[in-house]
Parts: sequence; structure tokens; C-alpha cells
Amino acid sequence: MKRQPDSDSPYWRWIPAAFALAGIIVFIFATYGPPASSSGFVSTLRGFLEVIAPDYVAGKAHYQMIPGPGSWLMAFVLGMAIGGFIAGRTFEIPVRDVPELWEKRFGPGRFKRYTATFIGGFLILFGSRLAGGCTLGLFISGSTQMAISGLYFGIVIFAAAMVTSRLVYGDPSRGKTHE
Amino acid sequence: MNELWLGLFSGIAFGFVIQRIGATNANKMARAHLMLEPAIPQFMILAVALSALGLFGLQTEGLGRTVILPTSLVATGLAALIFGIGWGLAGYCPGTCWAAAGEGRMDAVFALLGGFAGTAVFAQFHEALIPALYLPTSLGPITLADWLVGGKAVAVWVLAVGLGCCAWGVGKLWTRHEGSL
Repeated sequence: MKRQPDSDSPYWRWIPAAFALAGIIVFIFATYGPPASSSGFVSTLRGFLEVIAPDYVAGKAHYQMIPGPGSWLMAFVLGMAIGGFIAGRTFEIPVRDVPELWEKRFGPGRFKRYTATFIGGFLILFGSRLAGGCTLGLFISGSTQMAISGLYFGIVIFAAAMVTSRLVYGDPSRGKTHE
Repeated sequence: MNELWLGLFSGIAFGFVIQRIGATNANKMARAHLMLEPAIPQFMILAVALSALGLFGLQTEGLGRTVILPTSLVATGLAALIFGIGWGLAGYCPGTCWAAAGEGRMDAVFALLGGFAGTAVFAQFHEALIPALYLPTSLGPITLADWLVGGKAVAVWVLAVGLGCCAWGVGKLWTRHEGSL
């Protein structure tokens, strides 16, 4: 059964969506600099830690290299959450806490899914902070500036994610993972 | 307008667009990684190609602030491997998990919490890990323009056309699998 991905879907088509995102990215380069998300985690965490452990933050290089709360970086990630909220409220497909493919493979249990996303979240941020950026801050921002680091990071993250998802979900052609 | 409002506005626009392409939907992200749906990777790759051309245009007008991160053979590669495993497992990346949490996805809230834990652990060991993994194999802030003859103008078109071909290729390779569902 051949699907027509664009016919009835409320999701945007990829070409106009890419133009929209590129417009936003160029706006960010013009008004701020290279966009980044994973640095927003550092900025936000630094804000919390400065309240409870100011001496620790003052002595740690990783917190000192990123501006604290009130920065563009923290405003950007909070804005992302607001943008996601507005987009979700105005979208016809309801959200799920456990994705369909995950449920087919591991059942509807929330604990297992939340544990997996917690571990996944840990790994993506640990990796991002080691590389100096994430999908946005290194792959998209870096490649936009023609940085080899961004292109190298982009190729490896896609390859690793594709292999991992194959291990997590199995071979989709076996018919175990219908939409 | 100050930096805070610019960041907030940019984030709202960015979060809205990535929700509309389905990047905040971990199911669609898994389908992208399983080569069942090409739209998200095509969108990302084309967005980079267009942004590179746009940024080049800005720079010819003397606008835009750039920061080129160094390429560390070991640290960038190892970090990408760790990142890719987390991305494949959760279906979220550091940007999409904020937008997905805002959308109301509880699994994304846990990805966000895991992200704070990962950040805290890395920050704790930054002083040991950066000299051990990052600095020894760092090639510095190299760009495609350093590798190609003809400077930035040639490099930006090579990049944009190359990425355009990648987006097209992803469409060809990924949709081959659609029939199998």
C-alpha cells in the first residue's frame, strides 16, 4: 500500500517548512549569532545551581563558559516550549505520551517509555556538551557556517540513530511495526 | 529589542515550525530513522542548505555573527555516537524535547529531565574530559572553505548543492521502504 504522505496530512510539506526554518535561522544569525539548544540546558541549570551551590558553579569551567539565566540561550529554549505549546493547541492530531511504534514493540507501559526517554535525554545532552553543540547548535548551526565539525557530527548522529532505532524497534519490513 | 525578547521570539517561531513538520513527534522521528518517512531528514538537510546561502548573503552585507566550533576527531565523533544512540532511543534531541514537552508529551518531559542530568554530569567532568578527549585530536575551527579552492563563494554553493542532492537522495532511498508497510 503506497501512501501519499502529503495528501490529507496536517503536517507541513518538507520544502516550504525548510524555507520557513531557514528564514528563522538566518534571522537568528542576524540578530544574535549561531542558534543553539543544548547550551540552554547549561544556562538554565546554572541558574538553579547558582541559588543552591554558588561556589560550585563559580569553580566549574563548563558553567562559566555559558551565560546564566536571562541569556538569549535560555530564552530560546523556553520559547521553544511555548512554540511547541501553541503549535500543539492548534493541531488536529492529539499528542501521545507513548509513541505508537514504541507501544507495538514494548507495550503501553509508561514507566518503561519514560525510563528510556530519560536515558536518551541523558545521552543526547552528555554528547552535545562533549561536542560543544547538538542537532541545532552543531549540525545545523555549524553546517550553515560550513564548519567541518557540524557536517562530521551530522553524519555520525544520523548513522548512529538509524542503527539504534533498528535495534530498538526491529526490522520494519517484518511487519511488526505498522503505522 | 533586547536579547531576551529576541531569544524568546526566535524560540517560539522555531518550536512552532519543528512541531508542524513532525519533529516533536517521537513516532515520526523513529519512522525517519527507520527509513520509513523521509520528510524530517529532508527538511533538516534542505534547511541547512538554504540557511548557508542566507548566511552567506548576510555576510556579504557585513551582517551576522558566526562562531565556528573546532573539529575534534575523537571528541566530536564519540560525542556524535553517544548523541545518536540517545536520539535513536528516545526520538528526541535537545531542541525538540523542549517543544515536545510544551506540546504536552510526557515522555519528552522525562527526556528533558534526563538532559539536565546529562548536562550536570558532563559539567562535573568537563575539566577531565576536554583535555583527554577533545584537545589532542582537535583540528581547529576548519570549514569547507579551507578545503576547497575558490574560497567561501565556491564552498557555499558546493555545500548547498551537495546538501540538496542529499535531501533528494533521502527521498529516493527512504520511500523505497514505504511499499513494505
